[in-house]
Amino acid sequence: MKKYYIIARNTWDEMLTYRVSFVMWRIRNIIQLLTIYFLWQVILPPGKTLLGYSQSLMLTYILGTSLIDSVVLSSRTYAVGEEINSGNLMNFLLRPINYFLYWFSKDIGDKAMNICFSIAELTLIFIILRPPFFIQTNPFYILFFVFSVILSLFIYFFLNFLLGLIGFWSPEVWAPRFIFITLLGFFAGSLFPLDILPKTIYEILRFLPFTYLLYFPLKIYLGQLSFLQIASGLAISIFWTFAIYFIVKATWQKGLKSYTAYGR
Amino acid sequence: MEDKINLSKYVKLWWMMTSMVSQNAFVSRFGAVLFVLGKLIRFVFFLFFLLIIVSRTQAIVGYTLWQVILFYITFNFIDSLAQFFLREVYRFRSYVVTGDFDYFLTKPIPVLFRLLFGGSDVLDIPIMLLSAGFITVALSKIGSISPAEIFIYFALLINGFLIALAFHVFVLSIGILTSEVDNTLWLFRDLTQMGRFPIDIYQNPLRSVITFIIPVGVMVTFPAKAAMGLLSAQSVIFAFIIGIFFLFISYKFWNFSLKRYTSASS
Repeated sequence: MKKYYIIARNTWDEMLTYRVSFVMWRIRNIIQLLTIYFLWQVILPPGKTLLGYSQSLMLTYILGTSLIDSVVLSSRTYAVGEEINSGNLMNFLLRPINYFLYWFSKDIGDKAMNICFSIAELTLIFIILRPPFFIQTNPFYILFFVFSVILSLFIYFFLNFLLGLIGFWSPEVWAPRFIFITLLGFFAGSLFPLDILPKTIYEILRFLPFTYLLYFPLKIYLGQLSFLQIASGLAISIFWTFAIYFIVKATWQKGLKSYTAYGR
Repeated sequence: MEDKINLSKYVKLWWMMTSMVSQNAFVSRFGAVLFVLGKLIRFVFFLFFLLIIVSRTQAIVGYTLWQVILFYITFNFIDSLAQFFLREVYRFRSYVVTGDFDYFLTKPIPVLFRLLFGGSDVLDIPIMLLSAGFITVALSKIGSISPAEIFIYFALLINGFLIALAFHVFVLSIGILTSEVDNTLWLFRDLTQMGRFPIDIYQNPLRSVITFIIPVGVMVTFPAKAAMGLLSAQSVIFAFIIGIFFLFISYKFWNFSLKRYTSASS
């Protein structure tokens, strides 16, 4: 286990080495967050509600997605496709290391740094803008919220990894990822809570994995779901976690058989 | 006469460089199709998002659906126009790091022209045309817009592109001094994305910052407001002054940076 801890720590150190890049990345995150924050602030002035969302709940949702984003959506696995294409994967296949755990450890290092910055940024936003914020005190909701975040973390890891495996069959690994990021931007719920969409669309989205990355954990935190809705949502999350895991495993095995270490 | 000849020479040069870069873009047709598809999906989804918000709330800070759409489409048009013409700027870092920039300096082409217009991105054409089409629809749907307002709208669109051009010159200049390009460029992209919505939604001092210091508002929101007849004559004049001033300052900064280029990577 120690080697994986060192990989996570190295990733943390790498990010400290390229400090300007990382700080710029975080500034960009703040700009994106403020754009959506101010939009919802004017759409929902104090006293007005929209489909069950008051200003306080909506701004908690928007700020909450920013924090969950740094936990769930920060990942290094975007480089898997390049590793395969460049032939670097061979270096890992020859070493006594689990390739999945290697990337997962890198993700942990990345997430740790992003979480630290995200907390600092949100603290600053709270001090400067003083947004109305909903604090959940019910341990039941908090517990399920944490559990759903952990599941979403795995769903995202496997989804991202799966996209990287396209590298076994095609050098074009960025274009599919571009589509994935575009879809994620809308269907994960970082711009708006998905239940403001027309009911038919929402009912379809409820069965897709994107919904369980940001939207579902935040809905639990806000206490807007019944026990039955939480249970069914968690069941779908667990299903996707295992389904994507098995698809990744099968794709990885198949990819290795066709891998020629081209580029090395 | 000589100016005319020079202009046609530059257009011919741009055409040649764009043709060569376009051939590269279509090496992987699968990738090209996916990139265009991704841009279209993003465009359609965001329009859908605006539609949902306005249908649920009737208006955003007093603007109707088609007015909100005009703000977004205006942003999208200027953004895609800048990406189409100025895509070469995205490749500048590698030119500095590998030393290829020295090679450009020895060529009988103005180096700033080469770095700004050295390879337009044809994959941006569909989204640019779609935006242009939507501008026409939005302007007709808003109605009661005078020809003078339409003229000012298009003049301010050109002014918006000049501000975007100035930003790209700033990015290149910073790139020469620090070899940092990508982050500055993406920071600029994120700042301009604040203009997807009317800048009236932002509180001060942020609103003042994106109007006067980093004039995203002048670049994107002002043209749409002019079309709706919501921009005073003073603001229109102010917008053009800002555009010219930014272009002038960026060019001065470019000359300042170029004199400090050390050719360390060559």
